[in-house]
Amino acid sequence: MGDKQTELLQGTLDMLILKTLALGPLHGVAVAARIEQVTHGTFQVGPGSLFPALHRMAEKGWLKASWGESETKRRAKFYELTKTGRRQLETEKERWKTITLAVTRALEP
Amino acid sequence: MELVAKAASFLRNMFRRRQVESDLDAEVASYFNILVETHMKDGMDEPSARRAARLEMGGGDQVHEEVRHVQAGAWLRTCWQDLRYAARILVKNPTFTLVAVTTFAIGIGANTAIFSMVNGLLLRPVPISHSDQVVYLIQKHDHWANGFSYPVMEEIRKQSGEAFSDVAAVRPFQMDGLNASGASQPIWNEYVTTNFFSMAGIKPALGSFITPSVDNVAGSDPVLVLSYAYWQSHLAGDPNIVGRQAQLNGRPITIIGVAPRGFRGFAPLIDAQGYMPIGQFAAMQGKMQSPAAAKDATSVLVFARLKDGVDLAKSQSVLAVVARRLADEFPKTEKDLVLRAALLRSGMISGDGTNPVPAIAAIFLILAGLVLALASANVTNLLLVRAIARTREMAVRSALGAARFRLVRQVLTETLLLALLGFAGGAVLGFIGSRALGNLDLRTDLPLVLDFPFDWRVFFFALGAAGVVALLAGLVPALRGSRVDLNEVMRETSRGASGGRSRFRSALVVAQVSGSLTLLIVAGLFVRSLLNAQHTDLGFNPNHVINFGVDAHAAGYDETRGREFYRTLLDRTRAMPGVEGASLAATVPMGPISLGGTIHVAGFPETPGQPKPTASMNAVSPAYLKTMGITLLRGRDIQESDSETAQHIAVINEVMAQRYWPNQDPIGHQFTRDEDPKNPVQVVGLMKNSHTSSLTEAIDAMYFVPMAQDYRAAQTLQVRTSLASSAAVQAVRETVRSMDGNLPVFDVRTMNDALNGISGLLLYKLGATLAGMLGFLGFVLAVIGVYGVMSYTAAQRTREIGIRVALGAQPGQIVRIVFRQGMLIVGLGMLIGTAAALGLGKVVAGFLVGVGGADPLTFLAVCFAMAAAGLTACFVPARRAMKVDPMIALRYE
Repeated sequence: MGDKQTELLQGTLDMLILKTLALGPLHGVAVAARIEQVTHGTFQVGPGSLFPALHRMAEKGWLKASWGESETKRRAKFYELTKTGRRQLETEKERWKTITLAVTRALEP
Repeated sequence: MELVAKAASFLRNMFRRRQVESDLDAEVASYFNILVETHMKDGMDEPSARRAARLEMGGGDQVHEEVRHVQAGAWLRTCWQDLRYAARILVKNPTFTLVAVTTFAIGIGANTAIFSMVNGLLLRPVPISHSDQVVYLIQKHDHWANGFSYPVMEEIRKQSGEAFSDVAAVRPFQMDGLNASGASQPIWNEYVTTNFFSMAGIKPALGSFITPSVDNVAGSDPVLVLSYAYWQSHLAGDPNIVGRQAQLNGRPITIIGVAPRGFRGFAPLIDAQGYMPIGQFAAMQGKMQSPAAAKDATSVLVFARLKDGVDLAKSQSVLAVVARRLADEFPKTEKDLVLRAALLRSGMISGDGTNPVPAIAAIFLILAGLVLALASANVTNLLLVRAIARTREMAVRSALGAARFRLVRQVLTETLLLALLGFAGGAVLGFIGSRALGNLDLRTDLPLVLDFPFDWRVFFFALGAAGVVALLAGLVPALRGSRVDLNEVMRETSRGASGGRSRFRSALVVAQVSGSLTLLIVAGLFVRSLLNAQHTDLGFNPNHVINFGVDAHAAGYDETRGREFYRTLLDRTRAMPGVEGASLAATVPMGPISLGGTIHVAGFPETPGQPKPTASMNAVSPAYLKTMGITLLRGRDIQESDSETAQHIAVINEVMAQRYWPNQDPIGHQFTRDEDPKNPVQVVGLMKNSHTSSLTEAIDAMYFVPMAQDYRAAQTLQVRTSLASSAAVQAVRETVRSMDGNLPVFDVRTMNDALNGISGLLLYKLGATLAGMLGFLGFVLAVIGVYGVMSYTAAQRTREIGIRVALGAQPGQIVRIVFRQGMLIVGLGMLIGTAAALGLGKVVAGFLVGVGGADPLTFLAVCFAMAAAGLTACFVPARRAMKVDPMIALRYE
């Protein structure tokens, strides 16, 4: 991360993580990899940002963490969306739409 | 929902710390391993994969930190960390900690003690039910007074039902003799109307109260209710006291109950030791007679409870109506009557329309606040000095990534810890202080109780003071200390205090000096005021004089019998052992009643529309001036030969002579009195002015006439005796009783009680004591402050001084350099302080006696003392600087 080119707002990162986990529980590395993949490399989330985000959301009750086994039979912590988390995802999506609409309009010549 | 989840996490983070931490460790480790695996899957070999992974993770600890940062309850943990660190720092620097804590404790303690006083006098409600609904009444004829005559009280009671649900009257502070355990002990009784206790709404600690079923009529049950404190101290808390038959002034009574602890009647300052029905008043003092029959000598305090829904303003308007009605019904006595109600919770029942206590309390809180500010300033200086020593530590922490906010918080936490310790010390000091204040020897027989307990209000005040002080003292050092540039520090340029810093500290000391000066000046003003009040030439000698009120009319004597009685009483009293002199008078100085009226003087113009010529008067026994120690300037004293049938004469005072016969010898002149127009009075003597109404009011025109020529049924026997007051009182009561067992003796009081009491010197004494203590504290703090800064500054300049000495400077020059800096500070401080004191002096001037708010003597004396102290405080470090060895100084880093 730490790239000054792409500044990721905390809320945006939360939203991306929530979306990533919407399809099913993943462990930390997988979440980071998926985000990078889906955004075609624009957002590379390092552990320094990922960990706090995951833990913060888990403490708020949006995610649930549990130990499980990775594809390679390694012990890993998996995060999955809770019902509250799903609702939060929708809220964030709405908000994002509103913001981007407004900014786009503002930037029109 | 989110809140609940967060709360659960918070608790988990708090109480399962280790589990959370190890879980996090495992998660980070697992993340690392999976990352390595992923890289290896992408084709890297293991060492490169590991390196790449490590680079991505940063330091393992960094991830941990980030997570810890966002965990619920993180702030709490950092606070706890700060606290532990602060505690460690404080323990490592014991001297600093001790000095700082002591300074804080002094400041907080002083404020707490003063506040406990303010609390006890003003804020704490009187311990009766719904005390905010109870008021006391005052009336004004030509000046405000809080005593009413019984009949007037009854009228008010009947006519004010619209505003008051209940009206009670209290005849206070009779020194009676109670014999409940074999020997007679003095007891200060209040004689109360029967609805007194029901109005108070309290429950007895033992037995029962005087109930409204008992009539306010004489001959009703002679029952006594004891105060809790008296029951404990004088009757050993005897649990069988209820129903005990005892004797009061030799007459049989029954003790029916004990009031609850802490209840002291309605006036919070005075300890009523017993309560009896007001109908018993005449009986206990003599003949069975209805209290309404006693004429103007009866003086009761009146209290009322506001009806539900009636506020103070409404009651004032109701009272105004009542006053007008009374003025119409009794035009002779109640003309120009004004009535007013005041809330009970005013700390003191003052006789005039204003209550001085809130203003005085405010002044002293300000003074105490100054002391607190001074203490804070001292600690700030200490902290600033220490901050300089810690710059390196701060710089390193900053370089390691600590936010400035965190550094500031750290220093503030230390200050807070110091303040908390200071609070503990200050609370103890304040407690001791308020106890000491409560035990002030006020040199009066009156059962005053200065009760300043340490209740929750005082506790929170002290806590608040500690918080304020922590913030004040810690903020600047914290801000300064955290503004560090690592480069500069690491380069170890030891210019020590940069110019900016020491300027702030110097400014602080200037503020300290000025604050202390202001304090001292105000204290000086108070002390001088007290000395003046104490040495006010009263014009008479009040020492060892006891007053006894006697009323021949109440015993049914007519004039002839009365005159005979009083003559015999005087003779018998004078013959008593231990009695140095005795006299009779119709009124006494500082007493409850004053007499006087209109007079007519030949040659003195009386224009209609202008106030008529008046004078106060007194009817006295022969040789009165001699007995009371009043100086006779010309002519003669009242003599035996001035009998009923002789020419009517009078002795007048200087004010009267000056007003009506200016620049003439008044002796031989005549005037007529409205009360007795047929008998013109000839002036036979001129006496020196004496204070008759209060210590501070202007002296009025006054004349004395012989009692024989102006018979009054109610008189005061004034006895000058070397016996102890209680013994003397007993003896006199015995004498009167031997003459007539039914004659009432009342309003028994020593002259000094009146003088030292609430309307006398009490306030001045309190004021001077408090102001003096505060002034002293402030002075000590300021001197310490000056000395501290001067020492430090001199030490900082050691290198510079070493160079100067090496270059050939004389020791005297060195001293002068250091000195000049110090005196500049002190001088500036004194200038500002004097200006502030002038301002404060104006505010305080109203409470001073014989001294103006800008009294030059006080100002000069205090400035002189401060300058001398400042000089000494500068001198010592200066001398030390002088002795610097240039070799050492130059090597000093």
